[in-house]
Amino acid sequence: MQIPAPFDYVRASSVDNALALLDRHGAESRVVAGGHSLLPMMKLRLARPDWLIDINDLYELDYLLVDGPVLRIGAMTRHTTLLESDDVRRLFPIITDAEHVIADPIVRNRGTIGGSLCQADPAEDLSTVCHVLDAVAVVRGPAGERMLSMAEFHRGPYETAVAQNELLIEVRVPIRAGSGSAYEKVERRVGDWAVAAAGASVTLAADGTISKATVGLTAVGLDRNVTEVEAVLVGQVPTEQLFAEAGQLAADACDPLADQRGPIDYKRHLADELTRRVLRVACSRAAASVPDVTIQEG
Amino acid sequence: MTLEQAKIEETGAMTFEVNGTRVEATPAPGQCLRTLLREHEHFEVKKGCDTGDCGACTVQIDGTPVHSCIYPAHRAVGKQITTAAGLGQPGNLAPIQQRFVDASGFQCGFCTPGMIVTAAAIEADAALGVDDLPRLLKGNLCRCTGYRSISDSIVGQHTPPDGSCHTAPGHEHAEASSLGPVRATGRTRGARGAGLVGTSPGAIAGERVVSGLEPYTLDVAIPGLLHLAVLGSPHAHARIRSLNVAKAAALPGVHRVFTHADSPTTLFSTARHESRFDDPDDTLVFDQTLRFRGQRVAAVVADSVAIAEAACRLIDVEYELRDAVFDPRLAGAPGAPLVHGDKDPVVSRLADPTRNLVAELHGEFGSVDEGLEMATTIVSGRWQTQRIAHTHLETHATMGWLSGDRLVLRTSSQVPFLVQKEICRLFDLDPAGVRVFTARVGGGFGGKQELLTEDLVTLAVLSTGRPVQYEFTRTDEFTITPVRHPMTIDVTVGAQGDGRLTALKLGVLADTGAYGNHAPGVMFHGTSESVALYNVPNKRVDAQSVYTNNPPSGAFRGYGLGQVIFAIECALDELARELGVDPFELRRLNSVRPGDPLVVTHEEGPDLIFGSYGLDQCLDLAEAALKRGNRAVVPVGLQWRVGTGMASSMIATTPPRGHRSQASVQLVAGGRYLVRVGTTEFGNGTTTVHAQIAATALHTSVDRIDLLHSDTDSAGYDSGAFGSAGVVVAGKAVLAAATALAETLVEVASAWSGHGLTRGTDTGTWQLEHDGLRAVESESELVSLDTLMHWATANDVGLTAVRREDGALRSLAFNVHAFRVAVNTATGEVRILQSVQAADAGFVVNPEQCRGQIEGGVAQALGTALFEEVVLDGAGAVTTRVLRNYHVPQLVDLPVTEVYFAQSHDVLGPYGAKSMSESTYNPVAPALANAIRDAIGIRPTELPMSPDRIWRLLHG
Ligand SMILES: Cc1cc2nc3c(=O)[nH]c(=O)nc-3n(C[C@H](O)[C@H](O)[C@H](O)COP(=O)(O)OP(=O)(O)OC[C@H]3O[C@@H](n4cnc5c(N)ncnc54)[C@H](O)[C@@H]3O)c2cc1C
Ligand code: FES
Ligand code: FES
Repeated sequence: MQIPAPFDYVRASSVDNALALLDRHGAESRVVAGGHSLLPMMKLRLARPDWLIDINDLYELDYLLVDGPVLRIGAMTRHTTLLESDDVRRLFPIITDAEHVIADPIVRNRGTIGGSLCQADPAEDLSTVCHVLDAVAVVRGPAGERMLSMAEFHRGPYETAVAQNELLIEVRVPIRAGSGSAYEKVERRVGDWAVAAAGASVTLAADGTISKATVGLTAVGLDRNVTEVEAVLVGQVPTEQLFAEAGQLAADACDPLADQRGPIDYKRHLADELTRRVLRVACSRAAASVPDVTIQEG
Repeated sequence: MTLEQAKIEETGAMTFEVNGTRVEATPAPGQCLRTLLREHEHFEVKKGCDTGDCGACTVQIDGTPVHSCIYPAHRAVGKQITTAAGLGQPGNLAPIQQRFVDASGFQCGFCTPGMIVTAAAIEADAALGVDDLPRLLKGNLCRCTGYRSISDSIVGQHTPPDGSCHTAPGHEHAEASSLGPVRATGRTRGARGAGLVGTSPGAIAGERVVSGLEPYTLDVAIPGLLHLAVLGSPHAHARIRSLNVAKAAALPGVHRVFTHADSPTTLFSTARHESRFDDPDDTLVFDQTLRFRGQRVAAVVADSVAIAEAACRLIDVEYELRDAVFDPRLAGAPGAPLVHGDKDPVVSRLADPTRNLVAELHGEFGSVDEGLEMATTIVSGRWQTQRIAHTHLETHATMGWLSGDRLVLRTSSQVPFLVQKEICRLFDLDPAGVRVFTARVGGGFGGKQELLTEDLVTLAVLSTGRPVQYEFTRTDEFTITPVRHPMTIDVTVGAQGDGRLTALKLGVLADTGAYGNHAPGVMFHGTSESVALYNVPNKRVDAQSVYTNNPPSGAFRGYGLGQVIFAIECALDELARELGVDPFELRRLNSVRPGDPLVVTHEEGPDLIFGSYGLDQCLDLAEAALKRGNRAVVPVGLQWRVGTGMASSMIATTPPRGHRSQASVQLVAGGRYLVRVGTTEFGNGTTTVHAQIAATALHTSVDRIDLLHSDTDSAGYDSGAFGSAGVVVAGKAVLAAATALAETLVEVASAWSGHGLTRGTDTGTWQLEHDGLRAVESESELVSLDTLMHWATANDVGLTAVRREDGALRSLAFNVHAFRVAVNTATGEVRILQSVQAADAGFVVNPEQCRGQIEGGVAQALGTALFEEVVLDGAGAVTTRVLRNYHVPQLVDLPVTEVYFAQSHDVLGPYGAKSMSESTYNPVAPALANAIRDAIGIRPTELPMSPDRIWRLLHG
């Protein structure tokens, strides 16, 4: 048996209750959502909180809501809910793509978007997705709510801007007309964590040119979007050549480590290859939502 | 706050329902649901890991499957939990469970309860289509079956042996193919079929396995059980200068702390063989010198694992660091740090401890130099294989206790009798005072042909007098359990223009790690049948197995052959290309046939014979299947390249120098028979096969056979379940005993009817049938078996027959594998379009099971070929410490393999059977490498052939 260090356990009954408990128990307390990242870490003794505050019952944070120009996703929304949602598929196919390749159905039944983002594992797929979609994280603490861009939220591997006495409450994703998005990952076997993955979101103008484009990468040492590609893509009509250029920029921008999932140059190569693929798919999805636009071959 | 929650915060008590029964429990802080359920004797909830990676612990909570090992126990309050046992029970199985029984959807069965819980949820959810099964089953690993029989069980169909690949759309099947008896065999179920040899009755324990009620090693509640945890060495090479255990010993709940001061001083080997001299004696229960990271420094026995682990962290150790060697190529160099420099080569049976050499073989038959001169074409190359973890889902574990003044060990082992012998030797115990037995074992693959937990439990039980348990974690399995020997293999082969081989030269360097368990055996076996398979007038082998400060290597399915065959079969493929000869033809031209000498560096002894020969048929079957194709659709795009490849292998059906088994068969009440045989069931199907053999010999049906096995108290001696001996040796003993009993029954019937008991006179007139005996000539009424038994008891006539088999003669089995693959040149991805294995298993006693063994072996080999590697950091530390980083194939990763059987009949095995559990693994990796070579024009020489490696070959 791998045994976590001893700790005490308490179930929060509401967001306010959870915040009060975090405040009461202080530095050595942690919230547990699905527990599918935290419990393995505790069993392997990579995390050792004294107090566990279980927010699993906070149904008030389990929702998906199209609210005018944003999709609001409660922090306790399960992977399965995201995977099965028609709204999500219609508005942000990148999320559906990613959810298809996250873990296995049993893990997806419990794991939450909040836990994924707060875990900030470099191989966490939803972190990249939220970056690419320009999502906003709503964080609540004793002093009230803060809205953070993903760049502000995500400080680095396993590190976020959420303070010990705060909770991630919601993720807000802006809805843009004429947009398409996609995610693709290379795993060593299906359901595995990424060797490398890429996500893209593209908005097309009525004339078929790209008005906005974002690319993000997973597990290759880049905690931000590949901002370099934007300049190349925006204002252009999507072509294979353009995707190739963007792929090259993505490969240059990333900074992977060699590990059992592959050496550095292979991961760089994947960053390039996957960037091209997701841009291709994102553009054609965007085109499908903008009548009269077709993607040129070549 | 609800009342329930308030109650938890006050008292920690809570209630929930398991399978409709209310349970009240007080979970410990931090307890996961799995351990809580097991504490309540829900042993159907298994443990395969701790991190949500394997699915063995799957339960439904309010209808949704979850991994109970990463589900906080407290969270179950008020919930309805359903386990496999809640879905159905023997006699009243749920349909999904029944289908797992019918389609042989398991081997060891350790994954099965969790798998079925997931499958039941898939079935219950109308939105989930079985088409998506590969993805839906991602959370449940099976190491034994290769998943074909599992998906068949779930879908409720029976894929013909020539089934198509999962990667092929539409799941179309291959064109009609004839061959092999599998298709012809109807399923015979439970009591309704006789289940004689040649048919496929389901596993004897089937109904209990699918409902989770068949107990495995730790599935028993023992009051007062203590737990043992080990402090492992943080250094790869060090000596313990001082140890202070005072703080650990003082921790409340700690019973004993053991260190090298408590160790017996007898050297032994964790490897177990019929002859204990097969392995070097280089190991102590606790050694003051530490030779790999994780080696035992101390052990703590405490009330709980948590306390024992906490106490381990309180032990102060002062280490004196030593230089270490990690690269096997440097191990033999002058001045290299010596791993066992303190050992006497004679006492420990080591080739040369001053050069870190455990064993070596140098020999030549003919003259390779001359042979190479005669050659018109020469190919040479170097191949590298990796460390592989067995990853049997049940980790190593032992429970021990005292029964009166006898020591009892319940262990997860393939070799209980050998464990008994060595434990008695180590602790100076009388074998009569030690009982070693196994429950059903959750997989082994060679990993449980080691003594890894039993010695510490013995020490702990003997010194505390209390029952003690020691269970490996999944991380222990990756870090301190012996792995497959990594080997560097050089091959040079030469041939003349007509394709005839003139020379074969083999160089092998095996890294056996810090201890020499199985080092000589793996090296010698690895270089034997692989080389002997070919008629080459000039052969040379130079092989060494060396110590390093890496974690130990050990026994693993194929026992060294897989590694060497990988290299030789790849070299032959390259040679065939250079010669412009078809690879199947090259094999036909050069493989041994009955009458040919079997030569490695000298002719093999007369104990190895061609008891039957089906290699020619295997080559034909595999070639025909590959030619026929399977209509799998080749992925579109310029980046995809298609290729085909094949490889052959040969294996002796039993280990050399004897393998012994004693079986007894007894007539008991109700016309039933009790078979006692020592060999262990760990998913290899021997229990079923033994029942079939006994039923056939006794003219009865398998449901009349009861089996006691794998217990030193209740069965005769058996060397153990390794070296593929379960059918060929133990099965032969069962056949001999059952046949003898059948003869005795005929004699007893004659005696009962008033005739004399003279053997061979009028005994032939009585005939044994299912329910009794009948005098053939007089067409008398049936004399029931019970009648005879009563008469025999009254007249003091024994109705038990005991027979032995000593495995003195060994036969040869053959396998040929072929692949068609597509390789993505942009990403290095290998997609298998067609996978074919043709096997010469002699007479196939249980076609469904035998096919399962082949599929499982192929699946494991594909893991080796494509995904798996225990990675070290170059300083002796394992970096792949959890299943998250170690890639055991899942359903979605595997093709359905077409399985064909040659028609052959062995003169040695029972009913003409040969072994078929290890051999299936051996030809797979080279066949795949050859297919990839064919597709991309470059030869991969390193395992695993992961996408990054293939990509590097193309773009490097
Ligand atoms: C076998 C397995 C395979 C997996 N494969 C993948 C994969 O391929 N790709 C992938 O992206 N993920 C994968 N995961 C991770 C999975 O998605 C996790 O469920 C997810 O990362 C964490 O969600 P959780 O709700 O379980 O978080 P928890 O484990 O409960 O929490 C994770 C961390 O976040 C904190 N936290 C959680 N919620 C909040 C909140 N609302 N506010 C503040 N802090 C919070 C916790 O304190 C903890 O530190 C896998 C997990 C497993 C077990
Ligand atoms: S035991 Fe829970 S997933 Fe392995
Ligand atoms: S039968 Fe699946 S792990 Fe053994």
